[in-house]
Amino acid sequence: MNRKLKDKLILICFFGILIGFLLANILTRDAAYSASERRKLARFPKLSSERIFDGTVFEQFDKYALDQFVLRDGFRGIKALFAYNLFRQKDNNGLYFWGDHIVKMKYKMNEESVLNAAKKMNGIYEKYFIGMDAYFAIIPDKNDYSASVSGRLSTDIEKMAGLLRNNMPDIREIKLFDTLSLDDYYLTDIHWKQENLTGTVNRLLESMGNPVRISGNDFEKKELYPFFGVYYGQAALPAKPDTLSLLTADSLEKSLVFDYERNEQIHIYAPEKFGGTDPYDVFLSGAKLLLKITDTQSETDRELVLFRDSFGSSIAPLLLTGYKTIFLVDLRYMSSELLPEYIDFSVKRDVLFLYGADVLNNSHMLK
Amino acid sequence: MPFSSVSFLYFFLPVTAALYFSASRKMKNLILLIASMFFYFYGEPVYSLLMAFSSLTGYLYGLWIQKAKSKKEARFALICSVVFSIGLLVFFKYSDFFIENINSLTGADIPLLYIPLPIGISFYTFQILSYTIDVYRGQVEAERNIIDFSAYVSLFPQLIAGPIVRYCDIRNDLRSRSHSVSGAASGAGRFVIGLTKKVLIANTLAELVSSLANAAESTVLLYWISAAAFSLQIYYDFSGYSDMAIGLGRIFGFHFPENFNYPFVSKSVTEFWRRWHISLGTWFRDYVYIPMGGSRIGKANRIRNILVVWFLTGFWHGAQWNFVIWGLYFAFLLITEKLFLKRVLDRLPRFFRHLYLILAVTISFVIFNSNGTAMMRTTLKGMFGALGLPFSGVETVYYLESYAVVLLIAAVGATPAAAIAAKRLKKSRPGEKAAVFLEPALYACMLLLATGYLVDGSFNPFLYFRF
Repeated sequence: MNRKLKDKLILICFFGILIGFLLANILTRDAAYSASERRKLARFPKLSSERIFDGTVFEQFDKYALDQFVLRDGFRGIKALFAYNLFRQKDNNGLYFWGDHIVKMKYKMNEESVLNAAKKMNGIYEKYFIGMDAYFAIIPDKNDYSASVSGRLSTDIEKMAGLLRNNMPDIREIKLFDTLSLDDYYLTDIHWKQENLTGTVNRLLESMGNPVRISGNDFEKKELYPFFGVYYGQAALPAKPDTLSLLTADSLEKSLVFDYERNEQIHIYAPEKFGGTDPYDVFLSGAKLLLKITDTQSETDRELVLFRDSFGSSIAPLLLTGYKTIFLVDLRYMSSELLPEYIDFSVKRDVLFLYGADVLNNSHMLK
Repeated sequence: MPFSSVSFLYFFLPVTAALYFSASRKMKNLILLIASMFFYFYGEPVYSLLMAFSSLTGYLYGLWIQKAKSKKEARFALICSVVFSIGLLVFFKYSDFFIENINSLTGADIPLLYIPLPIGISFYTFQILSYTIDVYRGQVEAERNIIDFSAYVSLFPQLIAGPIVRYCDIRNDLRSRSHSVSGAASGAGRFVIGLTKKVLIANTLAELVSSLANAAESTVLLYWISAAAFSLQIYYDFSGYSDMAIGLGRIFGFHFPENFNYPFVSKSVTEFWRRWHISLGTWFRDYVYIPMGGSRIGKANRIRNILVVWFLTGFWHGAQWNFVIWGLYFAFLLITEKLFLKRVLDRLPRFFRHLYLILAVTISFVIFNSNGTAMMRTTLKGMFGALGLPFSGVETVYYLESYAVVLLIAAVGATPAAAIAAKRLKKSRPGEKAAVFLEPALYACMLLLATGYLVDGSFNPFLYFRF
């Protein structure tokens, strides 16, 4: 009797789950975009005899079935919970929790890529900036601060810096590691917090011979809440959101920001982007290939050309305190060959290559 | 379409089961055949014709052998059947291997054919071969119903990765099989266990193996962890897949032979091969080793036979020299055991016999997993400290710590300990009562958890697909 009941229950559970999810998958509407993973989801494949016989339809259906699976985020959460708590794995898809932080374990250095980055930066310096003061700084990853205390692996940032130093003799290094700590980064995101960058900005200004220094009191905070960063969706588990603070001041509000790509003036902050795909786009409207920021109230004539990645968007407004004009160049989207069309290289400027280890490890993306 | 995919689990399987169980008894094999052809077409649209053609020729050869007017004609028909089946296998699987070796030996410049390997060709070819040989031997009657025969060859539960089911094993099931709640329930349970082995253990170990292969450091310990993890990965991968195949068979009323029986508890290589990929081992025994004289001949011929069988076993696994070396490595161990080592081992304490087996098998899978003989040499040298590497490093320790629980679960799970404990528990009165609800709940949790793993990750390779 017991056995019969058990067998029936097994079959009810087994086919109940299979048929239940089959129907649920058919009946639920497909989503175009995953907010948690920040990516487009696969759609039902287009059918044609050619695509059926070359197998494309079935390959795409597999992706579609995975992407559009009902309760996808919940299932990913179940997997993450199991991996962390039962398998006791120290990371899940490379991510780990440390305190309230979600951190991605990045530790491999692509030496070839770092050397290529050095070659690229050297080439730009020699082509446009000979005789000017040029600097480079590596932005430490938040994992570089949590790895040693949490028993995870981290990048040998000193080795990376050494490679750049040895291959860029005319570009001086500015060390940033000791100006930051794990708490200077958002809990669920890769980026640093603008409001915690005063020490880093002062280190940069000092190293570049700029007499200006900043303090937190120079700015007002505008807070946006809740901020869920890029790691939040990837981790698939509940995590505390951050407050995203924008540091503003009268001079910043009145500064002019010109977007060469769209040929228009934009505002230094774009709080309306906070609800968008990437809330970090509030800083200088996110990814832009070339921007010129001018402080209309500046007491100095110094200018800076900042070669940057996304971290540069939040630090540039603070650096503007020491400069009249900053050009922000994102070589991930713009070829350096095009720069003379927009920047007059006869003017003496400071030059700063400010990149995170991610970009240096994937320098093929620098154009 | 692997069993461990969302497409199979949540689309193909429930639809197929619904159609199958709502069909009349007469229509069931036709439903299975159509489902199996679609299953194969999904992964190999063009090669479906090849499989259908192989089935058809196997069917016709069977009839020809049976209807042959003389033993000579039957023998000729069998030879035609074997040459045709092996010919197709050699053409699709080994052409480029032979061309590469001819080119390197003679300096010729014969262009490679770059023929993609049809999924499951090694498995269904061996099934067809066993059928025609059995018909020739008079062990089975030739199948007259082409639907039943095609269903046998293409039956989706065992089509792409075995076990290698012989026609005589499921002849009765093909003609008339019973379906019961208890049979289907045991099949569903077995399927879920296999799915869990594959998705939770094998895939996680595959991540470890992949991480170690791409590690920035090389250490002796890293090589050993990688070798141990791969040995366990391939066991969980393949035995998990066999569990799923056997479970699916039970759901649809078939009784497939077992393919694994806790091989890592063996105390000799001879015993290991009675417990590992049993359907392949018995196939070579019955269709190659015994016809060559088996063990009833002189020592020299017996050694020759073992070498031939294990050369073929290695070669069956893939068209690369490392697979041949892998097979011959086992031949060497088996011959050594037969000549004297077994007698020595029998006198040793159990622990040392296990240790010998684990070491021998771990090394064998290093050979198996090597992409070329150079990699094989480097790995073996690294394991035994011949590369002058440090014993350990930070990356090695990190991965060991991160995967320690998985490795431990995998190692314990490779023994019958859990099955024995569950059996004992179920024998007790409270255990039996609790199992009524706990067992279904456990299977449901395992299925949902495996789904979570599948939905989360794209890392879901199946090693035996390439054979």
